[in-house]
Amino acid sequence: MEPVNIQVYSIVGNSLCVDAEDGQRVFDQISQALKANLTVVVSFLNVEMLTSAFLNTAIGQLYRDFSEEVIKKSLTTKDLSNVDKALLKRVVKTAKMYYKDPTWMEQTLSEITGENSK
Amino acid sequence: MNKFILKDINASFESYQQLIEFYKENESKYFKTIEISFEKWFGANMSSVLGGILDILSNNLNSIIIKDIPDNIQRIIQKNGFLAYYGYPKTIDFNNTTIKYQKLKPNDGTFFNHYIMNELLERSELPKMSNPLKKKIAESIYELFANAKMHSKTKFVYTCGQFFPQKKLIEITITDTGIGFKNKINSRFGRDLTAIQAIEWAISTGHTTKQGISGGIGLSILKEFIEKNNGKIQIVSDNGFYQFSSNGLVKKSFSLPFPGSIINVQFRTDDIFEYGLSDEENDESIF
Repeated sequence: MEPVNIQVYSIVGNSLCVDAEDGQRVFDQISQALKANLTVVVSFLNVEMLTSAFLNTAIGQLYRDFSEEVIKKSLTTKDLSNVDKALLKRVVKTAKMYYKDPTWMEQTLSEITGENSK
Repeated sequence: MNKFILKDINASFESYQQLIEFYKENESKYFKTIEISFEKWFGANMSSVLGGILDILSNNLNSIIIKDIPDNIQRIIQKNGFLAYYGYPKTIDFNNTTIKYQKLKPNDGTFFNHYIMNELLERSELPKMSNPLKKKIAESIYELFANAKMHSKTKFVYTCGQFFPQKKLIEITITDTGIGFKNKINSRFGRDLTAIQAIEWAISTGHTTKQGISGGIGLSILKEFIEKNNGKIQIVSDNGFYQFSSNGLVKKSFSLPFPGSIINVQFRTDDIFEYGLSDEENDESIF
């Protein structure tokens, strides 16, 4: 079956992909496709600005609902500059850590207050 | 009538302290007239901070009067649109180095995006910068607005800026009158962090108070960019003051809390680092 093509520019409605809410709409579409066991190509054609706030909701939270294996197998991106790919990679790395260990945030707080981590 | 003189206000610890003291002296007043005048200097950027404070005081039905403004100060805060909120006519700004003062609702994201585009990216008066540098600066500012919007529960975000063509700097300040870093983190995790610990925690990569969604990258990316750019970042929240620049890290406490958070950032426009270049990534290595 042909992969589902998701045009970020079209979903957001302009070239500034900076708001978390806009990312949520992209996430909803990717998520639906992955739930239906389809492969997805996310195109960032005509996107001029990207923030981590947008990518956290658009892509990062996929790691809450899908395994790393499913995402790696089913999701590809295109029309993304190397700088933006590096940002996405960082968003993904953070998401994997966040969803893998729910106590991670608590541990970091203990570190900053000088308490022993529980 | 309560009269106050703000003296020599710029983006310094002492100036923030002075503004916090002004707020504290007036926070419990209702139905009063509060008259403010200025002496020596008032940095255009600080309109963002003063605007946030004055809005809280106005919400208590106090009347705000701004008068006895030295000419050099009046010219700037009239040009940037700040005084228009306090009974002064708007002026048309030629040879403009101000980035307009704006009071925005957190859901005014689209307006903010256009404001940054128009005020920062497409102005002929801007110092020369490479396009990747402009993009990095704009994205950093969008991250800050997204942060204030997501975390602070503020009613408004107050933003303002200025170019310094001789010093080759752009400075932008974003103020909210929301919950603040310390209260947000402590109420989310049931902790008792100090304001400075809360700021330090929030600026470290991956640390977020969001539930169910990963994040916490925006501020750390901004700090890394400021480091490369030789710029400066100041964060004021509750009674915490955090400043990072090429001169090092400064952490101090105010004697009283600021009612929200201020992020003030200075970007160098003569930065020649090639931000457009990055290692080749493929989907295999990303996901």
